[in-house]
Amino acid sequence: MRPEDVLRAINEARGDALVVPTMTAVPEWRTIAPDAPSVACIGFMGGASSLGLGLALAQPERRVIVLDGDGSLLMQLGSLATVAGAAPANYTHVLFANGVYQTSGSQAIPGAGAVDFAGMAEAAGYAFTTRIDTLEELRIRLPELLSVKGPVLVELAVEEAELTPMTAPGGDPLRVQVERLRGRLADGD
Amino acid sequence: MPENERIPAALIVEALKAAFRGQRKAPPVGGEPLGWVLSVPDTHQRSVIAELEGDGELRLLTCSTEDEANAIAAGLYIGGAEVVLMIQHAGLYASVNTMRGVGLDGGVPLFALVGLLSREAELEPAESPRSMVRFAGPLMDTFEVPHALLETRDDLGLIPEYYALSRERSGPAVVFVGRETA
Repeated sequence: MRPEDVLRAINEARGDALVVPTMTAVPEWRTIAPDAPSVACIGFMGGASSLGLGLALAQPERRVIVLDGDGSLLMQLGSLATVAGAAPANYTHVLFANGVYQTSGSQAIPGAGAVDFAGMAEAAGYAFTTRIDTLEELRIRLPELLSVKGPVLVELAVEEAELTPMTAPGGDPLRVQVERLRGRLADGD
Repeated sequence: MPENERIPAALIVEALKAAFRGQRKAPPVGGEPLGWVLSVPDTHQRSVIAELEGDGELRLLTCSTEDEANAIAAGLYIGGAEVVLMIQHAGLYASVNTMRGVGLDGGVPLFALVGLLSREAELEPAESPRSMVRFAGPLMDTFEVPHALLETRDDLGLIPEYYALSRERSGPAVVFVGRETA
Protein backbone atom coordinates (compact mmCIF):
# COMPACT_ATOMS: atom_id res chain seq x y z
CA MET A 1 0.00 0.00 0.00
CA ARG A 2 1.11 3.52 -0.70
CA PRO A 3 0.87 5.55 2.53
CA GLU A 4 -0.47 8.51 0.57
CA ASP A 5 -3.44 6.41 -0.55
CA VAL A 6 -3.99 5.22 3.00
CA LEU A 7 -4.09 8.78 4.29
CA ARG A 8 -6.60 9.78 1.63
CA ALA A 9 -8.82 6.85 2.57
CA ILE A 10 -8.61 7.75 6.26
CA ASN A 11 -9.42 11.37 5.52
CA GLU A 12 -12.52 10.33 3.60
CA ALA A 13 -13.69 8.10 6.46
CA ARG A 14 -12.61 10.07 9.54
CA GLY A 15 -15.81 12.04 10.22
CA ASP A 16 -15.13 14.42 13.10
CA ALA A 17 -12.26 12.38 14.52
CA LEU A 18 -9.21 14.05 16.05
CA VAL A 19 -6.00 13.02 14.32
CA VAL A 20 -2.42 12.68 15.59
CA PRO A 21 0.04 12.08 12.73
CA THR A 22 3.74 11.50 13.25
CA MET A 23 6.88 11.45 11.11
CA THR A 24 6.28 10.44 7.47
CA ALA A 25 2.52 10.83 7.83
CA VAL A 26 2.90 14.49 8.76
CA PRO A 27 3.71 16.28 5.47
CA GLU A 28 1.20 14.34 3.40
CA TRP A 29 -1.55 14.68 6.02
CA ARG A 30 -0.91 18.41 6.07
CA THR A 31 -1.67 18.52 2.35
CA ILE A 32 -4.54 16.05 2.26
CA ALA A 33 -6.41 17.31 5.32
CA PRO A 34 -5.30 20.87 6.09
CA ASP A 35 -8.47 21.66 8.02
CA ALA A 36 -8.74 18.42 9.99
CA PRO A 37 -8.58 18.75 13.79
CA SER A 38 -5.02 17.51 14.07
CA VAL A 39 -1.87 17.91 16.11
CA ALA A 40 1.39 16.42 14.87
CA CYS A 41 3.93 14.59 16.99
CA ILE A 42 7.32 15.81 15.86
CA GLY A 43 10.33 16.22 18.11
CA PHE A 44 9.40 13.94 20.99
CA MET A 45 10.20 10.56 19.57
CA GLY A 46 7.56 7.88 19.77
CA GLY A 47 5.06 10.14 21.49
CA ALA A 48 2.13 9.92 19.08
CA SER A 49 0.40 7.01 20.78
CA SER A 50 0.56 8.78 24.14
CA LEU A 51 -0.45 12.17 22.78
CA GLY A 52 -3.45 10.51 21.20
CA LEU A 53 -4.25 8.70 24.43
CA GLY A 54 -4.43 11.97 26.33
CA LEU A 55 -6.76 13.42 23.71
CA ALA A 56 -8.95 10.33 23.79
CA LEU A 57 -9.27 10.48 27.58
CA ALA A 58 -10.10 14.19 27.56
CA GLN A 59 -12.55 13.91 24.66
CA PRO A 60 -14.29 10.57 25.18
CA GLU A 61 -17.10 11.45 22.77
CA ARG A 62 -14.71 11.99 19.84
CA ARG A 63 -12.82 9.34 17.93
CA VAL A 64 -9.06 9.79 18.05
CA ILE A 65 -6.94 8.41 15.22
CA VAL A 66 -3.20 8.03 15.78
CA LEU A 67 -1.17 7.78 12.55
CA ASP A 68 1.90 6.06 13.96
CA GLY A 69 5.00 4.45 12.49
CA ASP A 70 6.56 1.11 13.37
CA GLY A 71 9.90 2.72 14.23
CA SER A 72 8.16 5.39 16.28
CA LEU A 73 6.11 2.88 18.22
CA LEU A 74 9.24 0.88 19.04
CA MET A 75 10.64 3.97 20.77
CA GLN A 76 7.72 3.94 23.23
CA LEU A 77 6.58 0.35 23.01
CA GLY A 78 5.37 0.40 26.61
CA SER A 79 2.62 2.73 25.46
CA LEU A 80 0.79 -0.33 24.16
CA ALA A 81 0.31 -1.43 27.76
CA THR A 82 -0.54 2.07 28.94
CA VAL A 83 -3.16 2.52 26.21
CA ALA A 84 -4.62 -0.91 26.88
CA GLY A 85 -4.72 -0.22 30.61
CA ALA A 86 -6.51 3.10 30.12
CA ALA A 87 -8.87 1.33 27.68
CA PRO A 88 -10.16 4.31 25.70
CA ALA A 89 -13.10 3.04 23.65
CA ASN A 90 -12.64 5.91 21.16
CA TYR A 91 -9.01 5.21 20.21
CA THR A 92 -7.86 3.90 16.82
CA HIS A 93 -4.14 3.34 16.46
CA VAL A 94 -3.14 3.09 12.79
CA LEU A 95 0.36 1.69 12.44
CA PHE A 96 2.21 2.32 9.19
CA ALA A 97 4.61 -0.63 9.10
CA ASN A 98 7.23 0.00 6.43
CA GLY A 99 10.07 -1.70 8.30
CA VAL A 100 12.42 1.28 8.24
CA TYR A 101 13.29 4.53 9.93
CA GLN A 102 12.57 6.40 6.73
CA THR A 103 13.05 9.92 8.01
CA SER A 104 16.65 9.30 9.03
CA GLY A 105 17.64 7.42 5.88
CA SER A 106 15.57 4.25 5.73
CA GLN A 107 17.65 2.16 8.09
CA ALA A 108 15.90 -1.09 8.99
CA ILE A 109 14.05 -1.12 12.29
CA PRO A 110 14.98 -3.82 14.81
CA GLY A 111 13.30 -7.05 13.80
CA ALA A 112 12.14 -5.60 10.49
CA GLY A 113 9.66 -7.90 8.82
CA ALA A 114 9.42 -10.19 11.81
CA VAL A 115 7.81 -8.12 14.53
CA ASP A 116 4.07 -8.71 14.86
CA PHE A 117 2.77 -5.35 16.06
CA ALA A 118 -0.88 -6.33 15.91
CA GLY A 119 -0.04 -9.41 17.93
CA MET A 120 1.81 -7.35 20.51
CA ALA A 121 -1.12 -4.96 20.82
CA GLU A 122 -3.50 -7.85 21.28
CA ALA A 123 -1.24 -9.35 23.94
CA ALA A 124 -1.04 -5.97 25.68
CA GLY A 125 -4.81 -5.88 25.94
CA TYR A 126 -6.09 -3.79 23.02
CA ALA A 127 -9.77 -4.54 22.46
CA PHE A 128 -9.44 -5.04 18.71
CA THR A 129 -6.40 -5.63 16.52
CA THR A 130 -5.86 -6.57 12.92
CA ARG A 131 -3.35 -6.45 10.07
CA ILE A 132 -4.29 -5.26 6.60
CA ASP A 133 -2.20 -5.69 3.47
CA THR A 134 -4.27 -4.09 0.72
CA LEU A 135 -5.89 -0.71 0.16
CA GLU A 136 -9.08 -2.37 -0.99
CA GLU A 137 -9.49 -4.21 2.29
CA LEU A 138 -8.63 -1.11 4.26
CA ARG A 139 -11.31 0.94 2.48
CA ILE A 140 -13.90 -1.71 3.23
CA ARG A 141 -12.95 -2.06 6.89
CA LEU A 142 -12.30 1.58 7.81
CA PRO A 143 -15.87 2.29 9.00
CA GLU A 144 -15.57 -0.63 11.41
CA LEU A 145 -12.08 0.35 12.55
CA LEU A 146 -13.28 3.87 13.33
CA SER A 147 -16.39 2.84 15.23
CA VAL A 148 -15.73 -0.44 16.99
CA LYS A 149 -15.03 -0.26 20.72
CA GLY A 150 -11.35 0.44 21.26
CA PRO A 151 -8.59 0.63 21.79
CA VAL A 152 -8.05 -0.56 18.22
CA LEU A 153 -4.73 -1.20 16.52
CA VAL A 154 -4.56 -1.78 12.79
CA GLU A 155 -1.16 -2.66 11.36
CA LEU A 156 -0.79 -1.66 7.72
CA ALA A 157 1.82 -3.12 5.40
CA VAL A 158 2.94 -0.02 3.56
CA GLU A 159 5.65 1.16 1.18
CA GLU A 160 7.91 4.06 2.01
CA ALA A 161 6.30 7.49 1.79
CA GLU A 162 7.03 10.02 -0.95
CA LEU A 163 7.70 12.75 1.61
CA THR A 164 9.27 12.91 5.05
CA PRO A 165 9.61 15.75 7.56
CA MET A 166 13.20 16.08 6.29
CA THR A 167 12.37 16.35 2.58
CA ALA A 168 9.20 18.36 3.13
CA PRO A 169 9.65 20.49 6.24
CA GLY A 170 7.14 23.13 7.15
CA GLY A 171 3.75 23.37 8.64
CA ASP A 172 2.82 25.25 11.76
CA PRO A 173 5.05 25.03 14.83
CA LEU A 174 3.82 22.60 17.46
CA ARG A 175 2.92 25.47 19.79
CA VAL A 176 0.53 26.86 17.17
CA GLN A 177 -0.99 23.45 16.48
CA VAL A 178 -1.55 22.84 20.21
CA GLU A 179 -3.34 26.10 20.85
CA ARG A 180 -5.36 25.90 17.65
CA LEU A 181 -6.72 22.44 18.40
CA ARG A 182 -7.30 23.28 22.06
CA GLY A 183 -9.21 26.37 21.00
CA ARG A 184 -11.31 24.46 18.48
CA LEU A 185 -12.25 21.86 21.06
CA ALA A 186 -13.07 24.52 23.65
CA ASP A 187 -15.36 26.13 21.07
CA GLY A 188 -17.14 22.86 20.50
CA ASP A 189 -15.73 22.37 17.00
CA MET B 1 12.87 12.48 60.34
CA PRO B 2 10.02 12.45 62.87
CA GLU B 3 6.82 11.09 61.42
CA ASN B 4 4.89 14.23 62.32
CA GLU B 5 7.13 16.36 60.08
CA ARG B 6 6.24 14.45 56.94
CA ILE B 7 3.42 15.89 54.84
CA PRO B 8 0.30 13.72 54.98
CA ALA B 9 -0.72 12.45 51.56
CA ALA B 10 -4.25 13.74 51.99
CA LEU B 11 -2.96 17.31 52.22
CA ILE B 12 -1.10 16.97 48.93
CA VAL B 13 -4.20 15.56 47.27
CA GLU B 14 -6.22 18.50 48.57
CA ALA B 15 -3.57 20.91 47.29
CA LEU B 16 -3.79 19.30 43.86
CA LYS B 17 -7.55 19.67 43.87
CA ALA B 18 -7.19 23.32 44.82
CA ALA B 19 -4.76 23.77 41.94
CA PHE B 20 -7.16 22.18 39.47
CA ARG B 21 -10.17 24.10 40.75
CA GLY B 22 -8.21 27.31 40.45
CA GLN B 23 -7.76 26.77 36.71
CA ARG B 24 -11.05 25.17 35.69
CA LYS B 25 -13.63 27.41 34.05
CA ALA B 26 -16.49 25.17 35.21
CA PRO B 27 -16.97 22.26 37.61
CA PRO B 28 -16.81 18.74 36.19
CA VAL B 29 -19.96 17.35 34.62
CA GLY B 30 -21.13 13.77 34.28
CA GLY B 31 -18.34 11.34 34.96
CA GLU B 32 -15.63 13.85 34.14
CA PRO B 33 -12.80 13.91 36.71
CA LEU B 34 -11.70 17.12 38.36
CA GLY B 35 -8.28 16.38 36.94
CA TRP B 36 -5.78 13.68 36.05
CA VAL B 37 -2.69 12.44 37.84
CA LEU B 38 -0.20 10.71 35.55
CA SER B 39 2.16 8.62 37.56
CA VAL B 40 5.21 6.54 37.06
CA PRO B 41 5.48 5.40 40.64
CA ASP B 42 7.78 7.33 42.92
CA THR B 43 8.97 6.14 46.32
CA HIS B 44 8.78 9.58 47.92
CA GLN B 45 5.17 10.00 46.86
CA ARG B 46 3.93 6.45 47.28
CA SER B 47 1.53 7.41 50.05
CA VAL B 48 0.00 10.04 47.75
CA ILE B 49 -0.41 7.48 44.99
CA ALA B 50 -2.12 5.15 47.46
CA GLU B 51 -4.39 7.98 48.58
CA LEU B 52 -5.32 8.76 44.98
CA GLU B 53 -6.36 5.20 44.25
CA GLY B 54 -9.48 5.68 46.32
CA ASP B 55 -10.20 9.26 45.33
CA GLY B 56 -13.50 9.99 43.62
CA GLU B 57 -12.56 13.30 42.02
CA LEU B 58 -9.09 12.74 40.61
CA ARG B 59 -8.28 10.06 38.05
CA LEU B 60 -4.96 8.24 38.46
CA LEU B 61 -3.32 6.76 35.37
CA THR B 62 -0.12 4.78 35.75
CA CYS B 63 2.16 5.13 32.73
CA SER B 64 4.94 2.85 31.56
CA THR B 65 7.41 5.71 31.19
CA GLU B 66 7.75 9.39 32.00
CA ASP B 67 8.02 10.10 28.26
CA GLU B 68 4.50 8.77 27.93
CA ALA B 69 3.32 10.81 30.89
CA ASN B 70 4.53 14.04 29.27
CA ALA B 71 2.86 13.27 25.95
CA ILE B 72 -0.38 12.08 27.57
CA ALA B 73 -0.42 15.29 29.57
CA ALA B 74 -0.19 17.23 26.33
CA GLY B 75 -3.18 15.40 24.90
CA LEU B 76 -5.20 15.96 28.06
CA TYR B 77 -4.32 19.65 28.04
CA ILE B 78 -5.32 20.05 24.41
CA GLY B 79 -8.57 18.28 25.21
CA GLY B 80 -9.33 20.71 28.01
CA ALA B 81 -8.44 18.62 31.06
CA GLU B 82 -6.36 19.49 34.11
CA VAL B 83 -3.34 17.26 34.71
CA VAL B 84 -0.30 16.78 36.91
CA LEU B 85 2.68 14.44 36.53
CA MET B 86 3.85 12.56 39.61
CA ILE B 87 7.26 11.06 38.90
CA GLN B 88 10.71 10.50 40.36
CA HIS B 89 13.94 12.34 39.61
CA ALA B 90 15.34 9.46 37.55
CA GLY B 91 12.25 9.72 35.35
CA LEU B 92 12.81 13.43 34.94
CA TYR B 93 16.27 12.76 33.56
CA ALA B 94 14.91 9.96 31.37
CA SER B 95 12.16 12.05 29.81
CA VAL B 96 13.79 15.41 29.43
CA ASN B 97 13.59 15.39 25.62
CA THR B 98 9.85 14.89 25.73
CA MET B 99 9.50 17.61 28.33
CA ARG B 100 11.54 19.86 26.05
CA GLY B 101 9.53 19.02 22.94
CA VAL B 102 6.10 19.15 24.52
CA GLY B 103 6.64 21.79 27.15
CA LEU B 104 9.11 24.19 25.54
CA ASP B 105 8.47 23.80 21.81
CA GLY B 106 4.81 22.89 22.19
CA GLY B 107 4.03 25.42 24.90
CA VAL B 108 2.15 22.83 26.93
CA PRO B 109 1.92 23.78 30.61
CA LEU B 110 3.39 20.65 32.12
CA PHE B 111 3.31 20.60 35.90
CA ALA B 112 5.26 17.87 37.67
CA LEU B 113 5.73 16.76 41.25
CA VAL B 114 9.15 15.09 41.22
CA GLY B 115 10.40 12.99 44.10
CA LEU B 116 14.01 13.53 45.18
CA LEU B 117 14.67 10.03 46.46
CA SER B 118 17.75 9.74 48.70
CA ARG B 119 17.91 13.45 49.30
CA GLU B 120 19.77 13.97 52.57
CA ALA B 121 17.64 15.90 55.09
CA GLU B 122 20.61 17.79 56.47
CA LEU B 123 21.88 19.00 53.06
CA GLU B 124 20.56 21.29 50.41
CA PRO B 125 19.93 19.32 47.20
CA ALA B 126 22.75 21.24 45.52
CA GLU B 127 25.14 19.91 48.17
CA SER B 128 24.12 16.28 47.85
CA PRO B 129 26.87 13.80 47.01
CA ARG B 130 24.29 11.94 44.94
CA SER B 131 24.29 13.13 41.33
CA MET B 132 20.63 12.22 40.90
CA VAL B 133 19.71 14.69 43.65
CA ARG B 134 22.38 17.32 42.98
CA PHE B 135 21.75 17.84 39.27
CA ALA B 136 17.94 17.77 39.22
CA GLY B 137 17.59 21.48 39.93
CA PRO B 138 20.41 22.55 37.59
CA LEU B 139 18.88 20.39 34.86
CA MET B 140 15.68 22.38 35.16
CA ASP B 141 17.69 25.61 35.23
CA THR B 142 19.31 24.58 31.94
CA PHE B 143 15.90 24.27 30.37
CA GLU B 144 14.72 27.48 32.04
CA VAL B 145 12.06 25.57 33.94
CA PRO B 146 11.03 27.18 37.24
CA HIS B 147 11.22 24.85 40.20
CA ALA B 148 10.73 24.80 43.97
CA LEU B 149 11.26 22.42 46.86
CA LEU B 150 8.36 20.96 48.86
CA GLU B 151 9.31 19.63 52.28
CA THR B 152 6.90 20.73 54.98
CA ARG B 153 3.25 21.60 55.37
CA ASP B 154 4.18 25.25 55.05
CA ASP B 155 5.24 24.53 51.46
CA LEU B 156 1.89 23.12 50.30
CA GLY B 157 0.95 26.41 48.66
CA LEU B 158 3.72 25.75 46.15
CA ILE B 159 1.47 23.20 44.44
CA PRO B 160 -1.30 25.56 43.30
CA GLU B 161 1.26 28.34 42.83
CA TYR B 162 3.47 26.38 40.44
CA TYR B 163 0.49 24.77 38.75
CA ALA B 164 -0.82 28.24 37.95
CA LEU B 165 2.69 29.30 36.92
CA SER B 166 2.88 26.51 34.35
CA ARG B 167 -0.37 27.80 32.83
CA GLU B 168 0.74 31.41 32.89
CA ARG B 169 4.05 30.71 31.15
CA SER B 170 2.66 27.97 28.86
CA GLY B 171 5.50 25.68 29.77
CA PRO B 172 6.83 23.31 32.38
CA ALA B 173 7.04 23.99 36.11
CA VAL B 174 8.36 21.55 38.67
CA VAL B 175 7.95 21.09 42.41
CA PHE B 176 10.51 18.72 43.85
CA VAL B 177 9.28 16.58 46.74
CA GLY B 178 12.28 16.58 49.04
CA ARG B 179 10.97 14.22 51.70
CA GLU B 180 8.85 11.15 51.66
CA THR B 181 5.18 11.91 52.22
CA ALA B 182 3.24 10.33 55.09
